[in-house]
Parts: sequence; C-alpha cells; structure tokens
Amino acid sequence: MKYNETKNYSRKEKMIGLTVLLALGLLLSGCGGSSAAEDKSKIKVGIVFDIGGKDDRSFNAAAWQGVQRAAKDFPIMLRDIEPGTPNAIEPAMRAFAEQNFDLIIGVGFAQAPIMEQVAKDYPNIQFAIIDGVSKLPNVASLVFKEHEGSYLVGILAAKASRTGTIGFLGGMDIGLIHRFAQGYEEGAKSVNPNIRVIRHFVGVTDAAWNNPGKGKELALAQIGNGADVIFTAAGNSGLGAFDAVEQQGMQNGRATHFVIGVDSNQNMVKPGFVLTSMVKRVDNAVYDIVADVVNRGFKPGVHVFGLDKDGVGYAMDEFNKDLVTPDTIQLAEEAKKKIIAGEIKVTDAMGS
Amino acid sequence: MTKLARELLFPLIAVLAAFIVGGILILLIGDNPLVTYRLLFGSALSWPDGIGYTLFHATPLIFTGLAVLVGFRCGLFNIGAEGQLYIAAFATAWVGITFANLNPWLLIPFCFLAAIFSGAFWGAIPGVLKARFGSHEVINTIMLNFIAVALVSYFTQYHYKVPGDPILQTSPIGEGAHIARLGKFIPGFPERIPLNVAFLLALLCCLLVYLFLWRTKWGYEIRATGSNPSAAEYGGISVRTQIVLAMAVSGALAGMVGINEVLGYRYRYYDGFSDNYGFTGIAVALLGRNHPVGVILAALLFAALQHGGIYVDGFSEHVTKDIVQVLQGIIILFIAAEAFFKWVLGGRFSMHRLRANV
Repeated sequence: MKYNETKNYSRKEKMIGLTVLLALGLLLSGCGGSSAAEDKSKIKVGIVFDIGGKDDRSFNAAAWQGVQRAAKDFPIMLRDIEPGTPNAIEPAMRAFAEQNFDLIIGVGFAQAPIMEQVAKDYPNIQFAIIDGVSKLPNVASLVFKEHEGSYLVGILAAKASRTGTIGFLGGMDIGLIHRFAQGYEEGAKSVNPNIRVIRHFVGVTDAAWNNPGKGKELALAQIGNGADVIFTAAGNSGLGAFDAVEQQGMQNGRATHFVIGVDSNQNMVKPGFVLTSMVKRVDNAVYDIVADVVNRGFKPGVHVFGLDKDGVGYAMDEFNKDLVTPDTIQLAEEAKKKIIAGEIKVTDAMGS
Repeated sequence: MTKLARELLFPLIAVLAAFIVGGILILLIGDNPLVTYRLLFGSALSWPDGIGYTLFHATPLIFTGLAVLVGFRCGLFNIGAEGQLYIAAFATAWVGITFANLNPWLLIPFCFLAAIFSGAFWGAIPGVLKARFGSHEVINTIMLNFIAVALVSYFTQYHYKVPGDPILQTSPIGEGAHIARLGKFIPGFPERIPLNVAFLLALLCCLLVYLFLWRTKWGYEIRATGSNPSAAEYGGISVRTQIVLAMAVSGALAGMVGINEVLGYRYRYYDGFSDNYGFTGIAVALLGRNHPVGVILAALLFAALQHGGIYVDGFSEHVTKDIVQVLQGIIILFIAAEAFFKWVLGGRFSMHRLRANV
C-alpha cells in the first residue's frame, strides 16, 4: 500500500461520499422509533439450544417441539436463541435473564456449568437444564433414565437377532452414552445370556455427533463381525448406521439387518430397516416444566423422567409393527412393569 | 481529502453497502430493517452488558487481526492464526495447571510467556518451511490448523481432563493464574462480564505492533520484504530471516488470544472455544486496511455484530443470527472488490494508479 496519491478526490467522489454519510444519518435517525411492545402479563420463556441448533431432527428438535407445544397451550411469550458457538452460550442466557424472563431453558449437558454461573446471579429467575444436574435453588435439572429405555430396546434387539451378535454405536465416548450401552446390553442378556454385544464409539469430541461417514464404517465393521441389530446413540452419526443396514438389503421381504434409532422416533427414516427407536421424550419434559412455571408450581432439583412417566420408551408405529412380534412386545411390556415396580434394577452407568 | 479520510472511505462504503444489502434481505425475510439494526446495535452498545461483551468479543479479534496484519505486511498470508491460538491456549492452560501453586507474580507472566512463545513457535514452523524450502505458507498454515486442533483435543481428552467430565475441557488452572476482570476497577461494571485485562493488553499490542513495524529496523525490513522481496534482498535484507520473524510475531499475537480465553474467562482450556477467531482475523485485518488502528475499529464492529446477533436471534420476529454472517460476508466481498469500485468511482484512475494503490 502506498500513499503517494497527492491529488484531491474528484467532485464526483466527494458527492458520493456525502450521499453515503447522509444515508448513514438517515439510517441512524430512523432507528429511534418503534419497538415491539411486549405483553407484560405473559410468562416469558427463553430457550438456549445446543451447538447443533433446533433443526437437528433429534435432541434439540425434540426440545423445540416441546416449547412450541407449550406456547400453543399456554399464554406464554416464547423466545429462542441458537448460540452456534460455545462463547455465545453465556451471553445468550444472560440476554434472557437481563430482560427478566421467567423461565430460561438450557438444552444439553454442555450448558450445565454455564447455567450454574448465570443462575447464581439471577435468583428470582427460574432455570431448567436438560441432561445436566445443578443443585441451585432456582434450577430444575431434567434428566432421563436412558438405561431403562435402552434395556427395553435391548430385549427387542435380542429377540430379533438371528446371529446372537448385536451392535451398539455410541457418539461421544462419555458417561451419558455408556448409560445407553449398559442398559441395552443388560436388556439383551435378559433374553439371551450368551448374546455378544459389540460396542463402538465414533469419537471423543463434539464432532463425534456429526460424522455419519464414520458411523457407517463402524456399523459395517460390526455387521462384518456378525451383528445383525445395531442400536445407535450417536446423533447425526447414527444415520450412517441406517445406511449400512439398508445396504445389506432384504431377503423374502424382510430386512437381514436392523438398526434402532434414538431420542426422536426415527422409525420412518428407513422404513423396514428400523426395528424401533429408543425415544427420549425431551419434548414432554420441556412442556411439563413450562406448565409448572405457568401454574406457579415450579420445583427446583432433579426431575427424573423414566419409564414410569413415559420419559423414555420404545417407539411402535405403522413402520415397524410387522418387524416386532407380539410375544416380543409382551416380553418388553412385562419388563417395563417390573422396572417401574423395582423388580428389575437396570445398572446406571453414570452411577447416580 | 486527507490521507486518513481516503483510508477510511472504502471500508466505510463496504460497511454501509453491507448494511443496505442486509437491510433489503431483512425486508424480504419479513422484518423491519431499522428495528432489526436498532436491536443489533442497541444491544451491542447497552451499558454494561452490551459494551462489556462487545469489548470482550473484540479482544481475540484484535489479536488475530494484528497477527494477520503482520503477515500481510511481510507479504505473507497467515491463515494459521486459528491453529496458533489453539496451541497457545492449551499451553497457557498447561502452565496454569502444572504450576498452579506458584506465586501469582511469577505464574501470570509465566502463563503469558507460554501463550506468546507457543503461538510464535507454531507460527514459525510454516515460516521456516517457506524460508528454507519455499513451500507456500498458505498451504502449510491451513494444514497446521488441523494438526493443532487435533493435538490439543488429544491432550485434553487423554491427559488433562477431569475424569468423568462429559465436557471436553481440562481441569481448572490455579487461582493464582486468573487475571483480573475489568469490573474490579470500574464502578458500576459487574464482574460477571468476562471483559478482562487482556483487552488492555490487546490495545497495548496495537501500539507495539505500530511501533515495531514503522519505527524499528526489523519492522522496516519486514515491510521492505513485503513490498518487494527482490529489492529487499538486493538492499541487504535477509528475506528468509524476515519471513520467519514475521510468522513468529504473527503467531505470538494470535497466541495471546489464549490469555483472554484461559486466564480471563474460562480459567481452563475448553476444547473448540474459538469462534473462528483466526479466520475472522483475516477479515478484520482487511477491513482495518492492515493498520493497527483500523484493526481495532474493525474488531469492534465485528464484535458488536457478534454480540448483537445473539439478541437479533432471540428477540426479532423472523431474522436469525445468520444475518450477522451475511453482513460480514458482504463486507468482505466489498472490501475485496475495492479495486473495481475505485475504477467505477473515478474513471480517471488508470490501471497504473490502481496498482500503485492496492
């Protein structure tokens, strides 16, 4: 860059510069006016999504569905923020808090430490964290008994397996996902004590949730080792396993290999190849917490959503009704009753 | 017009054009652009949260903007600031964890040095590769980004994580390594806002970079190398040395992002913390016309967009945070198209003059 230009700018250029400045002035002066008037009587609910965003067709999408349903049923004002980057989560939560929202929901365990900081500063605002635990008096922790739901799909998997080998495909190698794996294995072993369960994890970083290519490779490796049912708990990466089982094709109108979906009902993703889905009703949990706040019945502490509250379960619909036999369903329902009654204890790999 | 006004004109036009195009987009999406922009800047400039967070977000962008600037002035395109800042942030946390019990008067400078020298080291690698083997720094810095990110992820996961923590982050650094938040010194400015002394350090670095590049022999040699390597070599400057030096200084500046992040905000290394600071730094340097003062202004603008974008996402009817990316993209587009605009604006500009100006 050189600054040897000594001549003044032409008149034309000056005019353009002036016009631009005028436009700037107009723009700024125009900014003084209207702002959306908010109804003060309404309960204000803010939700901060995980990095994945509200359209992930799985975990965040379920939370989004829940608050939207609540917004239809109750007179609330709903606002949402997709932070997109880790350093935007805290300011996003504080944005709601500074505007005196009544309830702020954080989606995902990664937000737990941040909410711990923020909730301390605003004792009069109610907070809810999904998949995380906080002991603060104004935070409700919404956690799920993933191991119980996984136990039931383990039963379904073991009954459907012809090879005596089934697979588990986890996303990030963390305690939460081990909870799925452990419950699944115990459920399968309750049907067939000699069943072999192959476990794989996609990775150790956040990226593990979003790598369908690697998910497919791992699923194919499991199939190569004899697995004919694969349970995925891997977010977007799990969709790779859907491709892998579809690739194995059908024999006599029935798929040779099956996949089990997770979080949302994914039975319709590859009809005929999806044995069932281990649904985690994040939507119901979120809906309930909004209802609690609207009815002035907000309770802090840990809210556990297990089989008893239909917080977890296995999905049956028109896409998989021909894949699961009635006696399998009967077996799963009996196990469900026993788990609720406490007769069957499913190990919680997170140990809480 | 003065030199300064001339320097300001094109960035200003680029920014304004971006807001006009962005305004049309907002209108098409179904919101009122004026209301959206008012929300954007109103929230970014509100006291104390808006200003606090805007300055906090500007801090890493000033560092990376300066890093890219120093590279540009030497004729080098450092796309590796992202990797350099990751390595440096981890090194900073490593020192803060390993020597947690050291006296703060020793520990904090030690952490600073870790950030600066690890960044400089990671930056110098492509510098040496270019100087010694002539391999292009653009390719090498990009590839080193991947290596850096994977390397620190590995060490965090397998060696420095608290067992059982679902979040990929190291254990906390010693309390003695925490640097003060500005809320400590400013009445009415709450300490919960993570703006910290690293911001003042960033401003100091702007001054130092200016003095270094325009008032020292080394800076002159770097700029001479950037203007014309052959002439510089002929004039007795070792171009190879300048390339390594410029890349090391560039890496050191990028590395100081670690001070803001680790010592001033999270007090630990958090994997994946960077919001593409290294890449946004390129835009900051370009918009700031490769001048330290310009870098400050550009960083402030981008930081304001970043913070205001959160409010736009939450409180406008239809427009989402993505509008910020759109605005940034258009700004960069217009900056890149500067030569074209100069030609359109003043038909009297000859191609020769154009080249002299760019």
